[in-house]
Amino acid sequence: MIRTENLSKKFGDTHAVENLNLQIEAGEFFCFLGPNGAGKTTTIKMLTGLLHPTGGRALLGGHDIQQQPIEAKKIIGYVPDSPFLYEKLTGREFMRFVAGLYRMPENGYMENTARLLEMFEIHTVADQLIEDYSHGMRQKLSFASCFLHEPKIVIVDEPWVGLDPKNIRFVKNFLRQKTREGVTVFMSTHTLSIAQEIADRIGIIHNGRLLHMGTVPQIMSLAEKPGSLEDVFLELTQDNDA
Amino acid sequence: MNQVGVIMRAKLLMAGHAIASVRHESKLKVGVIGISVVALWVGALLLFLEGLDWLTRFGGGIGSIIVVRMLGVLGMVVFFMLIFSNVLVSFSTLYRSREVNYLVQAPMSFRSFFLARFVECVAFSSWAFAFIGSPVIIAFGITNDAPPGFYLASLLYFLPFVVIPSALGAMITLVLARIFPRLKMRTMALFGCFVILMFFVYWQRSFDAAQISEDSLLPAILDVTAQTQSALLPSHWAARGMLAASDGEYREALFSFGLLASNALMVLWLAANLAGRIFYPGWSGLAGQDRTRIRLPGRGILGRLDGLLAHVPNPVRALVVKDVKLFWRDPAQWSQFVIFFGIMALYIANLRNARGQLQQEFWRSWIACLNIGACTLILATLTSRFVFPLVSLEGRRFWILGLAPLSFHRLVWQKFWLSVATTSVFTVGLAVLSAYILRLELVYFALSVYSVLITNFGLAGLAVGLGTLFPNFQEDNPARIVSGMGGTLNFILSVGYIGFVVGAQTLILQWRVLNLFRSEQAFYVALGCVVAFVTALSVVSTIVPMRLGLKNLRLMEF
Repeated sequence: MIRTENLSKKFGDTHAVENLNLQIEAGEFFCFLGPNGAGKTTTIKMLTGLLHPTGGRALLGGHDIQQQPIEAKKIIGYVPDSPFLYEKLTGREFMRFVAGLYRMPENGYMENTARLLEMFEIHTVADQLIEDYSHGMRQKLSFASCFLHEPKIVIVDEPWVGLDPKNIRFVKNFLRQKTREGVTVFMSTHTLSIAQEIADRIGIIHNGRLLHMGTVPQIMSLAEKPGSLEDVFLELTQDNDA
Repeated sequence: MNQVGVIMRAKLLMAGHAIASVRHESKLKVGVIGISVVALWVGALLLFLEGLDWLTRFGGGIGSIIVVRMLGVLGMVVFFMLIFSNVLVSFSTLYRSREVNYLVQAPMSFRSFFLARFVECVAFSSWAFAFIGSPVIIAFGITNDAPPGFYLASLLYFLPFVVIPSALGAMITLVLARIFPRLKMRTMALFGCFVILMFFVYWQRSFDAAQISEDSLLPAILDVTAQTQSALLPSHWAARGMLAASDGEYREALFSFGLLASNALMVLWLAANLAGRIFYPGWSGLAGQDRTRIRLPGRGILGRLDGLLAHVPNPVRALVVKDVKLFWRDPAQWSQFVIFFGIMALYIANLRNARGQLQQEFWRSWIACLNIGACTLILATLTSRFVFPLVSLEGRRFWILGLAPLSFHRLVWQKFWLSVATTSVFTVGLAVLSAYILRLELVYFALSVYSVLITNFGLAGLAVGLGTLFPNFQEDNPARIVSGMGGTLNFILSVGYIGFVVGAQTLILQWRVLNLFRSEQAFYVALGCVVAFVTALSVVSTIVPMRLGLKNLRLMEF
């Protein structure tokens, strides 16, 4: 569902991402881990078409995001880490706006909006201006709008910021459920315990290069001493620093 | 270093970095903007030189009196405009800026906080005055053979002169913010409408008094401008001091400077102490307002927009509905739009004063040309202020549009058509109404309406195209987006475009009045050529910036 071929991005002389090769299948929950500045957000921005790669390409559902952006974007949903939304729209109006952008039929929009707003527990504030929302409410609205057009690929950048434990559990289960329905989830996170709990496969990126990729047991086996994913992650990235 | 100094130093460092970053910008872009800005300044200087020279020579001595009074009018208008703009600027700088939360939690007094932020208010509100005012002062100095001391005095007067209205504006904002959280929005809106209405009634009366005949020109002008000579007005102190400096009377000039500087310090002291007392309760009151603002679908015009635009296909409809709602729900946007309406109403109301001149063919053709100029300049102001920032305002929300299955081509052209559809309603209406009030003959009538209609396209193309070519995605405040380099370039090019449109028409209409055409048929052929030229120019003004803007957007990364 997601394939990158030697995907690279340079900012001046700095390699933010270098020759990244990924193959993520339909229904897979892929967690992308890495220290700050490793290249996670740059990768996500290239996958979503917000950044132009300086080398290689990214294919989503078989569509090159640079060559066939419209076709690729039809099947993507994206939740950024800082959900900047239109402050002067209400939550419901924002959902309608997104439905319009994706040319959803009126019936489909109404049904999906009602269901998603209720599911993310923002139906009670749906007619309030977004500027009055808390960070968590914005994040939930961002999630709800992401799933409005029923995407086949969902790209999520550090989604837990601003969510309370109850909502973290809900989002976790919701994303897991979506992968069972065939949706591919590509998630960047620093919350290693969650990645360990829900990821089918994990990729670790450091200094723009993919260090390791595999299932959780495969990644855990890379460590010299047994421990949690956090220990393994620190060991792997520390080794690389040295 | 004290805390105000620390903040000022950080601001200066940021300004230095911003200036240094120009090196990384496209040389062509920087060159075009730089040359345009210099050309505008030199053009303004030449225009003021010519105008002041003509006025000084007018009517043997009368002209000099008129020049002095005009400087008084200019000073007074700038003074009140600075108060008004500071009310708006200081609200965003003191209460709404992203830095405020950080600075309020810092261990510094609110008095220091105010002083640090006030410098920014002064800079933001007065740089345009410095840019446009300097050619006026220099032109005045040259036409009056002023000594070098005059230019030095003008430079010295600038700071205290802008500090007084800025501090007054900031004090009004401090008081309003203290009271505002306790008032209901409806009460505030009604109060605002009342103040605006009173302002226009006052100006209307002033203009009525200015219905002058040629034999009573000087007394009428002196009568109308008498209020600018009030000894209580800082603009009068500045004007008096500068006039004294231009005559080499430095004692008098120094006295005026002392008057200005001491009052500036006193007003600043008052404002800082007022801030020390009422800033925090006001800020905290605003932060603690009842946040339940509900907008039910299907209620009001905005709630019904989707239904009203049902025939417009998505995603264009979604974008239009979004843009309209964001505009009308932002008081900083619509309140300025209301002021534009006021200016238009004032213009229409005063057109009847020109009727007296309509008996002569010469004046009739001139007024027709000036009418096109006035309507298109109002339009240029509308597009520069409201249309140019549309793309920039997507800003940090570009991930929503960037991720949508929507081409940038469609997005940018949607903003163009939205601009044309909205501004045409107002400006073509204004053109029809003004042409009707002026009782223009059919050919002038048709030319006025066509010119205004076609310039809607040209100016929208310039504003949307240049807004896409020079976007500022870091800024949420449209007023600040407009005051950047791209906004300035857009306004300069818009005025230049209008100059060509109006100039071409004025040329042939004046030739007709002067009977320079061999026949009526020759006039209509020339008219056809001018219409074709204006149309072609408008097409170029639409297509070229839009293409450049779109190319820039496609290459951009978010």
